[in-house]
Order: sequence, then structure tokens, then C-alpha cells
Amino acid sequence: MDKLIADLKEQIAAQLKIKNIEPSDIGDDEPLFGDNLGLDSLDVLELIVLLKQNYKLKVSNAEDGPKVFQSVRTMAEFITANQTQNV
Amino acid sequence: MKAYISSAITISPQKTFKNPLFLDEVEVYTDNRLTCIEPDYSEAIDPRLIRRMSRIIKMSVASALACLKEAAVAIPDAIVTGTAYGCLEDTSVFLSNMIEYSEEPITPTAFVQSTHNTIGAQVALLIKCRQYNNTFVSGGASFENALLDAMMLLAENDNSNVLVGGMDEITDMSHIVLSRMGLYKRKPASNLDLFKTASKGTINGEGAAFFLLANKPSSRDLACVDAVTTFYKPTDITETANYIKTFLTTRAINCSDIDLLITGNNGDTKNDEIYAQIQTSVLADIPSVNYKHLCGEYPTSTAFAVWLGSNIIKNNAIPDALNFKPISKSKINKVLIYNHYQNTYHSLILLSSC
Repeated sequence: MDKLIADLKEQIAAQLKIKNIEPSDIGDDEPLFGDNLGLDSLDVLELIVLLKQNYKLKVSNAEDGPKVFQSVRTMAEFITANQTQNV
Repeated sequence: MKAYISSAITISPQKTFKNPLFLDEVEVYTDNRLTCIEPDYSEAIDPRLIRRMSRIIKMSVASALACLKEAAVAIPDAIVTGTAYGCLEDTSVFLSNMIEYSEEPITPTAFVQSTHNTIGAQVALLIKCRQYNNTFVSGGASFENALLDAMMLLAENDNSNVLVGGMDEITDMSHIVLSRMGLYKRKPASNLDLFKTASKGTINGEGAAFFLLANKPSSRDLACVDAVTTFYKPTDITETANYIKTFLTTRAINCSDIDLLITGNNGDTKNDEIYAQIQTSVLADIPSVNYKHLCGEYPTSTAFAVWLGSNIIKNNAIPDALNFKPISKSKINKVLIYNHYQNTYHSLILLSSC
């Protein structure tokens, strides 16, 4: 899980072109949306594409979105749960 | 109707942005590609917004915001932009992504930011301007059409000021493609020697320039835009000369009234032959300068020429960077810009002192 979380932080920082913040500075449980990182609705689409391109995963139920993209940890948990299911 | 240029700001391959000195030194390039000298954008644009902006968006937004600030205008009555290539870097990114990911869903930002009207929209969003917003995409006449629209808005509507800009960028991909089409010189040479080497091709350029045009004069005005016209694909040099002659005669202007001619010579033998012929006929005996050794060739380079011409009028001085022999007139009142882009898009822009 730790490795996955670290990878996700790198991928999020690169995909969203987050400047002035090192990937390691993003807290595991820090809310992705809101004041801290300043992400917005367009970034949700970027994160959906990130999951699709890097992990071949789709958030099929739109209502799950806020839960999945709450933090890096929730994203990692979603990946772990769904990749295990796919296996 | 005249349009008063309250402020003019450009980011170009020269040190033109926030430089109180007017072209005091020339940036020398030895490649066939002149790239803009970019400022630290964090001073002009919220760092949280910069992350999504490509180079051309940053250059344009920074120029537009600085232009408004200089003119002391918070929200203009209209925003009009002209660009031939638009946000080319983002276009390249999303097209490459489509291929790389086999047309699977791709990241939306590059697509959203790739449209030609992104810049006008970004400026409007940043300053919360809900007024008229239009972008002209018409090749080598894009900036001229934006300028014409701005002047018509000032003349025919209640608009008291219009923010108008012209911008285009070079990307690695576009430089490769346009080089293959033979647009640029094969043997790299200094931009200072652009007009000394009689050879095929020019040097690639880019830039973003914004102007705040007003319908009433103010103490800060640099110059006025008296007239703008364009003509497309003249059949021969006679037709070109006739267009220019008509432009001058309908405005009752003689060659002797024009203090300075700024021409779009770009170092390409075939291209420059047109200027040579025009300068021995319909625009004979007018002191002239070239400008593309400073900014390179690109479809909206006349935006740089307008910045240059208006500053020459404002300063009543021609910088050494233009290699100009001193003229006898003590005051530069009228400047005519004549440019053509690949002998397809021709334009005339007449500037005067206010």
C-alpha cells in the first residue's frame, strides 16, 4: 500500500502539474479538493483518466467519485480493492 | 475613426516586457528560431492557475493583464484576439495522447486549453469580464482582423475601450513541420544578418502583444491607429501597388506625409522582392525600417510591428536596434506598417501621433 500511495502522489503531481509542492508533501489522508492542493472539477476528470491509463480502472458509479477521490489513500484503497477483484 | 492606443505591451524574443528602455539592446540569435524572453509569471498570474497554462497562454495572459494595468483599466468593454496557430502546444499534446492511448479517453486539460479562443477566455475569466469576447483565426491576417473589429466596436457601439491582442507560438513540432515546408533558412545565421544574406527562407518567430484601444484621447496615449486594411492574394505586383495606392488616396495621404515605413522584410529573397518593388513605386522615398530580425516571422508579427511603431511615435525616436539612418524630420508623426505573410495576406496599418 505504501508503495502504491507514493506512486500515486508522483502521478498526481505530474498529471495535474502541481507546482511548488513535492509529491512527498502531499499527505496520505489530506483532502485532494479544497484549499490545500487547490484542485477543482477539471482535475477530477484528470484523476479519472489517470486511473484508466495507469491502472485500467474505471469509476463506473458516479456517486462513488467523492469517496474514491477524497485522498491519495482512498484512491489507493480503490485501486487495491478493484485490481484484486479483477484478478 | 481613430483609436487611441492607451497602452501597448509585448512579450517577444527581445527584452520588451516591463523594460522601461525601448529596445536599448538587441538579443542576438544564431539559430533560425527566435524564442520569447519570458518573465517570472508568478508576479502576474496566480501560481495556482499557472499550472494549466501553456507557454502561449502564460505569455498572452501576462501581456494582457500588464496592458490593462498600464492603461489603468480594470475591465475593458471588449476583448478581441487574433491568432493563426492558437494554443498549438496543447493541440499537439492532445493529438499525441490520442495516438499514444489508441483513442481511449485522454486527459481533458490539453483539449480544453487548445482552442484558439482560450486566451481571450482566460483573460476574461481572470478579470471577470462578461463583455464582448471574440477571437479571429484568419492566418496571416488574424491580428489585423482583430484590430479592425476593435476599431469598429469603438466606432459603432458604445464601447469606450477594447483590449486587443495578437499572439502565436513556436512549438518543437511546428518548427519541424514548417522547416520541412522550406519556410526557414537552412544555414543558421545571426538575426542581425537577416537582411544581408540573400537566400531562401526566413527565421521562425513568436510573440504576444496586447493593446488597450480607446475612443477618446488620454494623457498616456502612445499613438493612434488611423486605419487598417487587408488584401488577400494579389495576382501581381501591380495589383498590390494599386491596393496600397487606393489606401493612401482614399485617406488623402501622400508619401511625403509618412515619416516612417515599417516593412515586413524577413530575409527571404522572394518575399523581400515585393517590398523592394513597392518601395521603388507606390511607397518610394519613404524612410523605412525592418522589424523581423527582432521577432522573427510568424502570422501575427504585425502585432509586434504595431507595438514598435507606437513606441517610436511615443518616444519620437527610432532605436539603434533597427539600424536606421537618422531622418531629417524632427517629429515622427505618421508611421505606416506594410506587411505581407507569404504574399498571401497583405496588410497596411497607419499609426499617427495623437
